[in-house]
Amino acid sequence: MIDARPARRLAWTGAVTAALLALATFGVFFVAPEDSDQGIIQKIFYFHVAIAIVSLIAFAVSCVTGVLYLRTRQERHDEVSAICIGIGMGFSALVVVTGSIWAKASWGTWWVWTDPRLVTFVIVILLYAAYFVLRSSAEGERRFRYSAVYAIAAFASVPLSFYSVRVARSFVHPVVFTQSGANMPDSMLIWFAVSLVAMLGVFLTLLQLELIQRRADRALRRVKMRLEASS
Amino acid sequence: MSGGRPGWGRQLRALLLKDLRLELRTRDTLVAMVLFSVVAMMIFQFAVGSRGDDLTDVAGGILWATLALTAVLGVGRSWVPEREQRVLDGILGAPVPRDILLVAKACAIYAYLLAVEVVAVPLMALFFIRDPDPADLGLVAIVCLLANLGISILGSLLAVLALFARARELLLPVLFLPSMLPVVIAAAGATHSVTGGTNDLADYRGYCLFLGVYAVIFGLVAYATYEHVFDD
Repeated sequence: MIDARPARRLAWTGAVTAALLALATFGVFFVAPEDSDQGIIQKIFYFHVAIAIVSLIAFAVSCVTGVLYLRTRQERHDEVSAICIGIGMGFSALVVVTGSIWAKASWGTWWVWTDPRLVTFVIVILLYAAYFVLRSSAEGERRFRYSAVYAIAAFASVPLSFYSVRVARSFVHPVVFTQSGANMPDSMLIWFAVSLVAMLGVFLTLLQLELIQRRADRALRRVKMRLEASS
Repeated sequence: MSGGRPGWGRQLRALLLKDLRLELRTRDTLVAMVLFSVVAMMIFQFAVGSRGDDLTDVAGGILWATLALTAVLGVGRSWVPEREQRVLDGILGAPVPRDILLVAKACAIYAYLLAVEVVAVPLMALFFIRDPDPADLGLVAIVCLLANLGISILGSLLAVLALFARARELLLPVLFLPSMLPVVIAAAGATHSVTGGTNDLADYRGYCLFLGVYAVIFGLVAYATYEHVFDD
């Protein structure tokens, strides 16, 4: 029997996320002031940075659920960890694409190797791509255990991406959030916050969708096996 | 207590000496690693340089790209004797704490890397740096000591993950090289800041600090997860 509650939750999350996305898009393009320096292209910041933050949150959740799996050995933690890494990878790819578009408009080039933050983001993507190679190479319980260990190790590289910004000196990436607070006016900050919450909603919707799909898949397989056994 | 289990240090020493003695007898890994590093540097020279151009600017990059690829060889070979001769079953069956197994393997990888660097760093100076200064090479040696820490800690952990997986020879580079990229970036940056002609010691210190932090972070990760990488 498939539980209908997760599907109802998903419908609610999806609807709220869609509304938030529409509100964020409207606010960013029609309400938030235009940047005097960069003009219209600066609007991409609201999505680029929000997506980047949410992708890091997805990787953080995968690390936490990896730890939970190692402590409890419950498969559902492994499932959430793997899904979060998949979503994080998708978001990271979007970060690179939106960052590249912004770089072309601002600096005249699609890619800047001298910016350690962009480079380290690519390292993070490569790291997590290897997660799926490892996952498909191991069998049974070992697959879950190794995936969890690797999810923790890969997440350790995330603070290094921030640290590298401070070590290397020649960077061109605009630093919006400094220790003394956000480097933008409140009229921009509020729409950035809406955009960030909308992206978090997208993450939660995708996570729930994937979980429901996997559970339905398992239920279907059980039914198939029962039918085969009875025939 | 007499006749009890030997201490942490003695067990580590015994496991490390086993690895080093085996390597000194067969010389399988070290000779291959040194030869590979020389060949890789030659390939980089032909790929990057042309007609005797001054390669001082890219010397650090060539050295650390070479050492990263050489490290893959060393890390990949690190558990081979145990696997091939079923020594691993014996070791895992013995009451040896798993952390000692990993630390011993990390120490062995560290020693192999150091042996390769003894050859590779002077060769880099000879091949790629115009008028190399021995004092600068001393600073590069410190970079090697720091970078090897991170490489060997991470390598020993990932090598176990690849050990029990399918297509382990293909899996290890895919797992290991992306995690190594920050080390390559920082080590190449530190090497360049002292051999590239600018002698920027502030940059050098920053990169060295990064290498230290990297080693500490992955040391903590290895410490937190070592119990789960070996089968019960």
